[in-house]
Amino acid sequence: MKARNLTVLAILLAAALVILPGSKALAEKPIILGCPLSTAFLYGWDAERGIKLAVEEINAKGGVNVGGEKRPFKVEVIDTRDLEPGVPVSEALMAVEKLILEKKADFILGGPVRSEAALAAMSLLSKYKKVSILSTGVLTPKYHALVAKQYDKYKYCFRIHGEAVQLVGEMFANFTELKEKYGFNNLFIIAQDVSHARGAAKVMNKVALKKGWNVTGVEIYPTGASDFSMGLLKAKKSKTDIINIWMDMPESSILLKQWYDMKIPALPFGSTLAAAEQPGFWKATEGKGEYTLCNVVNAGNAPSNATPWTMKFYNAYTKKWNVEPEGLGSSSSYMAVYVLKDAIERAGTLNSDKVISALEKTDIMGVYGRLRFNPKSHQVIPSSDPKEGAVGTILQWQAGKRIVVFPKSIAMGEIKLPPWMKK
Amino acid sequence: MDILIYGTINSIALALMALGFALVYGISRVPNFAHGALYVITGFITWTLLRTLGLNYLLSIILAIIAIGVVGALIYQFVLIRVRGMATSEIIASYAIGLAILEGLRWGGFKGTTYTLPVFIEGSINIGDIPVDLHRILVVGIGVAIITFLWLFTHYTRVGLALRGMAQDERAALMLGIDSDIMAVVAMALGAMLAGLAGIVLLPLGNIVVEKGYDVLIQAIAVCIVGGLGSWMGAVMAAFLIGFAQILTTVYLGTHFQMVVALLAIILTLIIRPSGLFGQQKELEERV
Repeated sequence: MKARNLTVLAILLAAALVILPGSKALAEKPIILGCPLSTAFLYGWDAERGIKLAVEEINAKGGVNVGGEKRPFKVEVIDTRDLEPGVPVSEALMAVEKLILEKKADFILGGPVRSEAALAAMSLLSKYKKVSILSTGVLTPKYHALVAKQYDKYKYCFRIHGEAVQLVGEMFANFTELKEKYGFNNLFIIAQDVSHARGAAKVMNKVALKKGWNVTGVEIYPTGASDFSMGLLKAKKSKTDIINIWMDMPESSILLKQWYDMKIPALPFGSTLAAAEQPGFWKATEGKGEYTLCNVVNAGNAPSNATPWTMKFYNAYTKKWNVEPEGLGSSSSYMAVYVLKDAIERAGTLNSDKVISALEKTDIMGVYGRLRFNPKSHQVIPSSDPKEGAVGTILQWQAGKRIVVFPKSIAMGEIKLPPWMKK
Repeated sequence: MDILIYGTINSIALALMALGFALVYGISRVPNFAHGALYVITGFITWTLLRTLGLNYLLSIILAIIAIGVVGALIYQFVLIRVRGMATSEIIASYAIGLAILEGLRWGGFKGTTYTLPVFIEGSINIGDIPVDLHRILVVGIGVAIITFLWLFTHYTRVGLALRGMAQDERAALMLGIDSDIMAVVAMALGAMLAGLAGIVLLPLGNIVVEKGYDVLIQAIAVCIVGGLGSWMGAVMAAFLIGFAQILTTVYLGTHFQMVVALLAIILTLIIRPSGLFGQQKELEERV
């Protein structure tokens, strides 16, 4: 009996020794990450999953070292609904304010997701001196331009994923290649009536004309539009070679189905084409989405070997959520947590000014390449080489798979044309 | 040619979306603001039967339509009957039900772009040099068939005649032994089934998303106001008016004005002819 009691005691002691170091961090006051995300949409739920995965991994390893004290991260998510049609920007602002005042968020991570809402939230972040790292959805170049222009006011705002101008550059790199290979010269632009897409369409139009492309039309569709036949017919009539799509609304899958059904002889090349980014797109369109190209903004949102961490993240995400990373916001939101952890540990405090300073000096090799922020604009530095900066990713649907075709440094295949386009 | 083809398809689609709403209002005078939610939930029911339970597509459709008819009848029997005759309460109650259904679906995880139904016929044909997919042509056929069926049903069947009697004069119908409550339940069930049928016919063109419920409700209200509340044929005419106006706007003004058309139609109708094209609400005009 005595020996049995001793054995039980020894087991309990051993268990306590194993558990206690980890649980000490968990017992400390958590660092609250406030995440204003449009959770009913891909860019919202994907970001939430990325953040939660990173937090789980970090907490499992003991948490964040804040000046010698190990503290865990805690995630607070509020649905901003800012990607939904007709929801005013004020809803997202209320969510951000609630996270700061009620949930006592130490940092804001993820969103707001819609550019308009994120721009409006900048003043709030400045008012409450809350450091924020945008990691999904917001592509407007205005965001980092504002930081650069009024640094003292907006220095709290960082963005860790690519933005529209970078995306435009990546698109044209591909267009130039298609021009050389197939003689393409006509471009038709379809955009959603939202800030980033309208802005991108304008830039695309301007750059295309400068680069000698013939822009055969620009169509702006309101959020929630569900019939694209007339726009597609215009594209067909104008002998367009590429349809450039800037659309994150779910109805973009209708556009792609219509493109397939109408056999429009132009390659659909999208950016923030949320519907086509998701692995479920193939099944949802019954294969009609084949040949669709879309920019998923950063590596890690589709399978590639950009860095040793890319597939490690990809597999961990798939294991935890039972689905592959689905698109923009997954890898960048995951990395936002790690980058913040790194900055807090270097700053040794949660003080905003010190964390800002540390974030400006960030230099880590992440899921989608070397992560550094431009110290003046707080925009992550892009590159086509993962050793130099944050790499983007353009994928094409080929035989039911998302094949990364750009940049060349991480490509897993080449762009293919649909059979009704082959000359 | 393209305007004619796609204008017709768009108009029939609008008519399909609005017929259920027009029918319920025409007979029971209840503005069913849960109409859009019924449209969407039928899509999700069909999807669940087809993809999750693995039933045959046709069987899934039939079961979903029956289910939504029952839901419609229950909504009337347990909620709307209590507020019947109180217009504001009817709107609030039915809108609340719609909101609960749609947000409940979202809460239940029905979000994203991966919920889709297969088209009835694959492939496309060229009419002139305009490519049209076969499912859209089928939409026109089904739309015409439903409108014809409704006309025949309301002119040549006992239930249909009773429904028309109710729509024309409820008190006179009561004197002839027609139970207005039962007829209202039938109308609501039929309206829900029409909303569901519209969903099943139109949703394979895209994906089933919760937000579509709000859009369908706005389109249906616009069609019914322009056509005249309570007039089924008015709704069909208005669907053509708005449907072609939307396509013409897309072609000549720009695609981003497309969504404005329905809302502008509501405003213009209320200013110029509040009772709509074929409306029976003459008192509205007198008041204005």
